[in-house]
Amino acid sequence: MNTRTFGLLLGAVVLIVILSIPVFGSPSAVDITFRTCSLIALAVSWNLMASAGLISLGHSAFFGLGGYVVILSANLLGMPFWISLIASLAAGALFGSGLALITGRLRGIYFAITTLAASEGLRVIAVMLPALTGGAKGAFLDAKYYPGTFTVNMGMSLAAAVTCLIAWRMSQSRIHYAFRAMRANEGAAQMLGIYPLKFRCAIMAVSGAVASLVGGIEAFHGGYLDPAIAFDLHITITSQIAPILGGIYTLSGPIIGAVATVFIGDATRLSLGHIEGVSLLVFGLILVFSILYLPQGIRGGLSDLWRRRSATAEPTKMAKP
Amino acid sequence: MDLLPQVFSDALLLAGLYTLMAVGLSLGFGVLRIINFAQGEMIMLGAYGAFWGLTLLGVDPIISLPVLVVAGFALGWLIFRGFVAKVLDAPHINQILLTFGLALAIQHIAIILWSGNARSATTAYATESAFVGDVLVVYSRLIAFAIATIMVVALIAWLRWSETGRATRAVAENRAAAALMGIDVDRIYAMSFGVSCALSVATGVVVSFILTITPFMGFPMLIKSIAIVILGGLGSIAGTVIGAFVLAFSETFVSYYVPDGAGWAEGIAFLLIIGILILRPRGILGQTVET
Repeated sequence: MNTRTFGLLLGAVVLIVILSIPVFGSPSAVDITFRTCSLIALAVSWNLMASAGLISLGHSAFFGLGGYVVILSANLLGMPFWISLIASLAAGALFGSGLALITGRLRGIYFAITTLAASEGLRVIAVMLPALTGGAKGAFLDAKYYPGTFTVNMGMSLAAAVTCLIAWRMSQSRIHYAFRAMRANEGAAQMLGIYPLKFRCAIMAVSGAVASLVGGIEAFHGGYLDPAIAFDLHITITSQIAPILGGIYTLSGPIIGAVATVFIGDATRLSLGHIEGVSLLVFGLILVFSILYLPQGIRGGLSDLWRRRSATAEPTKMAKP
Repeated sequence: MDLLPQVFSDALLLAGLYTLMAVGLSLGFGVLRIINFAQGEMIMLGAYGAFWGLTLLGVDPIISLPVLVVAGFALGWLIFRGFVAKVLDAPHINQILLTFGLALAIQHIAIILWSGNARSATTAYATESAFVGDVLVVYSRLIAFAIATIMVVALIAWLRWSETGRATRAVAENRAAAALMGIDVDRIYAMSFGVSCALSVATGVVVSFILTITPFMGFPMLIKSIAIVILGGLGSIAGTVIGAFVLAFSETFVSYYVPDGAGWAEGIAFLLIIGILILRPRGILGQTVET
């Protein structure tokens, strides 16, 4: 079995599992699936930007924006679930492409810092506009707009599935070569006729829309939002740990990483949860050690093993970097 | 009563503190070209060091400052040798995420060891103040300003006149050329990382008797330092001083003159970061950089 069929098979299995659990699963399985799907969508969205060379330290900006758009459009305008989510999707896409436009020529660390500043800036705005957002006290979603547990869980599963499909479609098209070229050297990519700004706007619109949609569904799920939850650095941290741990710049990496991250998070909470702060300590250590010792993530480690085992059979087959 | 002299004195004292806070990051960024996201946690560790020195041993933070600075240098040296040295030539993303992970780990070790509760180092001079004319001067802020000034001047003198300082500036300007002139680049890297951590620890000691101490105090200060360094420009200590003054004065003016200003003032750093990166990514006095 080669890597491609394996990947397709794995993708199909994941799709079936996450779409059927909201229907058939027990409450705890549904809860775990919800959190995993949320992280899958965020991780894939983070990875999309990373694969174009754009390091986001501000994914919580999109997440929080989506959450607030949902709360406002439901509470103030009385929009139903799906329409609120479309609104948060649109807001995320607009904010993403807007951020791409204003950060037009920034790369690497400077881009990363701008996204961090954008996220923290939005948090300050959310605190300082209590008339709109409820300020530091937070805002509740009016209970009459809650569409029911099943719809919310299914919505998150669908969001994760569609996100993975989009990422898969992109990896099949020629666009992803453009992104890879931009990641390696944006100047050189431009010389080859790739207009970086156009691609940046596109990828950040998609990535932002996805992360914002996740924030929107999470707002429906939680029913409450305050600036500290909405623009929590934790969102940014987990959405970058998952791809790093699973295998950055790959399709399956963020998915594997998201499952592993949720698992590790739950395991530390169950075994060492009485010690405050221990789960984020573990995440910090994972980040440090995967950068130092597992730069290709779990997926890279596995495919190394795979290659070594089948090295005699197919000496020329190489996993994509 | 006219507010203006009070606003100026507050802003000036804050600017001194901000200079000390950002100058460590500026040195590390200028020499290694890496933004150390764990820098804020060094400030936090310094503040806790001063707090425990005062609470357990009864040592005034000003007395424990030299010891803690040396410890901060050693810790920085170790972090460089153990982690940062391994990603010096790696892509930006690895450097960012590595120091980010270190920051996360250090912060949560602090939470586990000392809990998330807020503490404060209450020295005799922490709450005292005096009127100079119409202007209220809080002693602790004045002391902080004095310490910050001494340390920043010492840093500038070291960079300007000592042999190692000259070597550091050479490495910051051009790593390859410095190596060809016989400078041990690796040692300079470890050294400047250590010094930059030591400066942040010193900042922590100084703020320990001004602000409340929590494990989370580092991150907002890191963001402000980044704003200052970017504003001033990469690799320019003078630029960092200017950046600190700009941030301190704009924050103070906003909190005095804008309704709800104290809250909005917290957002100025972010506004400055975005604004300067879009308009002039090299900062006020910086070298041309690869953006």
